Amino acid sequence: MRLFFRFLILQSAIRIPKWKLLVVLVFLLLCMGLLNSALQALPPVQRAVLPNGLVLLVSEERSLPFVTLQLLVNSGSWKDPAGEEGLSYLTARGLLLGTSKRQVTAIHEELDFMGASLSSSAGRDYATLNLRVLKKDLDKGWDLFIEVLTQPTFPEEEIKREVEKTLAAIQSAEDQPDEVAEKEFRKTLFSNSPYAHPVVGTKESLPRLTREAMIRFYRFCYHPNNAILTVVGDISAEEVKSKLLPSLAKWPTVEIPKIPFKTSFEKEPKTVKIDRGITQANIVLGHVGVSRDNPDYYALTIMNYILGGGGFSSRLVEEIRNKRGLAYSVASYFDPGKYPGSFQIVLQTKNASAREAISISIQEMERIQKELVSEKELEGAKKYLIGSFPMRINTQGKLTHFLTQVEYYGLGLDYPEKYPSLIQSITREEVLRVAKKYLHPENTILIVVANLKEAGME
Amino acid sequence: MRLLKKYLITVFMLPLLILFFMTPSEAGLREQIFETVLSNGLKVILLENPKAPLVTFQVWYRVGSRNESWGKTGLSHVLEHMMFKGTEKIGPEEFSRIIQENGGNLNAFTSYDYTAYFENISADRVQVAIDLEADRMQNLVLREEDFRTERMVVMEERRLRTEDNPRAILIEQVMATAFQIHPYRWPIIGWMGDLARLTLADLKAYYQTYYNPINAFLVVVGDFKKEELLPKIEKAFGSYPKGVVPDQKRDKEPPQLGERRIFVKKEAQLPFLVMGYHVPNLQDPDSYVLEVIATLLSEGKSSRLYQALVREKRLVLSADADYSLLSRDPRLFYLSADLLPGKEVAEVERALDQEIERLQRELVGRQELEKAKNQLEALFIFGQDSIFNQAMLLARHEITLSWKAVDDYLPSIRKVTPEEIQRVAKKYLTPDNRTVGILIPLPPKEGKPAPEGSPIKEKMVR
Repeated sequence: MRLFFRFLILQSAIRIPKWKLLVVLVFLLLCMGLLNSALQALPPVQRAVLPNGLVLLVSEERSLPFVTLQLLVNSGSWKDPAGEEGLSYLTARGLLLGTSKRQVTAIHEELDFMGASLSSSAGRDYATLNLRVLKKDLDKGWDLFIEVLTQPTFPEEEIKREVEKTLAAIQSAEDQPDEVAEKEFRKTLFSNSPYAHPVVGTKESLPRLTREAMIRFYRFCYHPNNAILTVVGDISAEEVKSKLLPSLAKWPTVEIPKIPFKTSFEKEPKTVKIDRGITQANIVLGHVGVSRDNPDYYALTIMNYILGGGGFSSRLVEEIRNKRGLAYSVASYFDPGKYPGSFQIVLQTKNASAREAISISIQEMERIQKELVSEKELEGAKKYLIGSFPMRINTQGKLTHFLTQVEYYGLGLDYPEKYPSLIQSITREEVLRVAKKYLHPENTILIVVANLKEAGME
Repeated sequence: MRLLKKYLITVFMLPLLILFFMTPSEAGLREQIFETVLSNGLKVILLENPKAPLVTFQVWYRVGSRNESWGKTGLSHVLEHMMFKGTEKIGPEEFSRIIQENGGNLNAFTSYDYTAYFENISADRVQVAIDLEADRMQNLVLREEDFRTERMVVMEERRLRTEDNPRAILIEQVMATAFQIHPYRWPIIGWMGDLARLTLADLKAYYQTYYNPINAFLVVVGDFKKEELLPKIEKAFGSYPKGVVPDQKRDKEPPQLGERRIFVKKEAQLPFLVMGYHVPNLQDPDSYVLEVIATLLSEGKSSRLYQALVREKRLVLSADADYSLLSRDPRLFYLSADLLPGKEVAEVERALDQEIERLQRELVGRQELEKAKNQLEALFIFGQDSIFNQAMLLARHEITLSWKAVDDYLPSIRKVTPEEIQRVAKKYLTPDNRTVGILIPLPPKEGKPAPEGSPIKEKMVR
C-alpha cells in the first residue's frame, strides 16, 4: 500500500504545560512515529484528514497494553424521518447484528473470547461505534470493527429482536420517574423540532421501522466524509498506518445531501404533572438552552457552576440541600448540542416539599440575574474548572471521548491549552449578562412526576 | 452485573466509575506498592503511577453497616454525610469548597464493610487533601442543627434509591430474608424508622469508636514520590493517638435449611426475579471459582444466560449473575432477570434453574472456560487505566483480607478447572441455600398530564 497518508498536523498537547511545548514538539519531530515511553505522561495527538474525508486522530499512550477506538458518525436521531423515530438508534445498533461474513452470534463469541468490548449507540447529534481491545488482539478487533462498520447486513430476524428489546426497555423505563420526567420535558420543550423525540424511538414508531429504512439510513449517513475516528492507547502512528489505514482507505466517499435543522421551542410557560404512586416528586424545570458553538458557552459554564453545576459548592445545593435538607440530589445544567439544547434544573424531593423546592429553584434563577455573583464565587468556579481539567482526560476512555468531541465541535487540538484563558477571561459582569440573557425564570417548562395528591398539585 | 451498584452509597450523586466485577489482581502489582504502618497503627498503602499529574488520596475506615446494631441502622452512612459538616478549624461544607477550589473532585461512600473518603486532585495539591482528611479523622464537630438537616437529606436519599425503586425494594427484602443473624440483614442506608430515631449522641459515640488510626488505612495512587509524600502523611496523621481496636467480630450466618421465597407487590411495569445463594468470600479459594461461574453465566453476549434466556427462549430483557469475592463476611451470589412483557416468572425461574443444573451436570468445555478467563483478565487490565479504580481495588482487598491478595487474583482465576466449577456449583447453587425474590407489578396509576392552562407556578409563593 502506497503511503499516501501523512500526518499533516503534529499538534499536541494535552497536559503539556506551555513552557514545555516547544521542547516537546521538537522532540516529536525528531522521532515521528517512534514516540517512546518518556512521553507517556503527555500523550501527543496527531490529526489527519484522509483522502476519503475521514478525520483521524491518534494518540499514543503505552502505559497499559490496550487500545480504545471511537468512530463518530454524523447520524444522530435528529435526522430520523418523521414517523420513523428511533431509526438512527436502531441503525447504529444494527451494525453489530451481523455482517456479510459473520452472524451476530459469531461476533459475540469472537469479542468475548478476546475479552474485548464493541458497542454502538446513537444520540441526538451523532452515533458512535466503540471498541476496546487488548493490544495482542488488535488485528482481530480491528477486522471486526471495520467489518461491522462497512459491511453490516441488518438481518431481518435480528432487527425484530432488537425492536422487541427496545420496546421492553421503553416500558421498563416507566419505572424510573426521573426518566419519565426527562422524557416529558424534552417532548414539551422541543415541541415539533428534531430534538423532541426520544433517541430510542417510541412505542408507536418502533414497530414501523423496517430493514429497508435502516439500509436507506445507513447509506445516507455512514460514510468516511461524515465521520471522525479516534484511536488512543498502545499503538504507534506506524501501526496505525500499517494496520488501520489500508482498510480505512477502501471506505469510499459518498456525497451526503444536506438536510436543514429546523429549531422550534415551546415559547409559553407550561406545566405537566404526571401522577405516580411514589414518595418523591421528580422535578425538571427549564427552558431553551444554547448550542455548543455559542460564544457565551464559557461564561455560561461559570454561571451554571455557581448556580447549580458546581457539585457541593453550588447555590442550589446550598439552598435546597444544605440549608433545608429538601433533596439529596439537585443540579442545573445546559446540554448544548450541535444545535440549541436545553437548560434544566433537576431535583427530587419528598412530595410534600415539591412546591417549596420549585420556588427556591426559581428564586435562585432570579437572584443570579439580579445581582453580580461574588468575587469569591467567580474565583472558586474558575479554579475548579481550570484545575480539574486534567481529570477530564486521565484515562484512555476519557481521552478518546474528549478528542472526538474536540474534533466534532471544532475546538482545535490546542483546546486544553486555550481552556484556562477562555475561563480566566470571564468577569462577574459577563456572568450577570449571560444569566440575564439565557435564563428565563418567568418562562419555564415544569415537569412534575409525583404523587400529586401528597404534593398538593392535583 | 449492575445489581451491586446499590451496595455503595455516596454522599452526593456524582458519577462514580466502579467496576464491581473486576476484583482482580495483576502479577507484579505487589512489587510496585509500598506499605508502611505509622507508629499509631495507621496503615499507609502507596502506589506510584505517574501516568497523569494527578493523585487519588483515599482514607478508608473499617466501619460500615455491618458494625451497626438493630434499631440504629444507617448510622455509618449518616456519619459519612456528617463528615462534611466541618471541624474545629473549618465550617460546614467548607471541606468540599476548598477541594473544589483546588481543582479537585471529592466524595465518600459507605458499604457494608467500610466507609471511604477520597479526593482526586492535581499532584501538586495533594497537601490540601492530606491536611483536610487528617483534620476530620479526629476533629469533627457534630452539631445538632446540621445533623437534623442532613438526616433529612439521607431520608431523601433513601426515597430516591429505594422507596421509589421497585427492584431496590426487592433486593433489600431478599437480603433481609437471606440473612437473619448477620448484620448484612439490613440495608446500608438503614431503615427509615431507624434514621428518624438516630441521635447526635449515637453519632458521637460511633465516631469515637471507629474513626481512629488503628481502624483506618490510607491508599494513595498517582503521580508522587513516596519519599516526599510519606513525611507529609506522617506529619499530618502521625500524632493522633492510636485508639482502641474495635470489636469487629460478627456472628456467622448459620447454614440455610431450605429455600426462602418472598414477594414484593408494588407499582411497576414488569416483573423482576432475584435469587440469592449464600457463598464464601475471598477467604475461601472457592470464591475464585464463583467468579468464573458468574462470568460464564453473564459476562458478554455469548454468555450462557444471554444465549439461553435472551436469545433462545426470548424470556427476558436481561439476565445477570452477580458476585463479588470482596466482602468482609460471606455474602450472596445473585441471579436476576428482567422479564419481557407477557412472560411468566415461573418459566424464567425454570430457565435459570436449567442453567445452574447444566453447570452441575456437564463439565464446562475448554474453549468456553478459556473465554471466561480471558474476559476476567481483560477486565482487570482495562480497570488499571484509572488510578481511582486501582486504589479502590487495593482497598477492597485490604478490607476483605489484605491488599496483597490482589496479586493472587489472576493466577487463581487461571487455575480454575472444569471439575472445580462443577463441584462449586453443586455445593452452593442449590435451592435449599437460596432466597428467591419476585417483584409482582401492580398496575401504575394512570400517568395523565394535567389539564393545560393551569401552570402551578402561578399559585406558588416565590
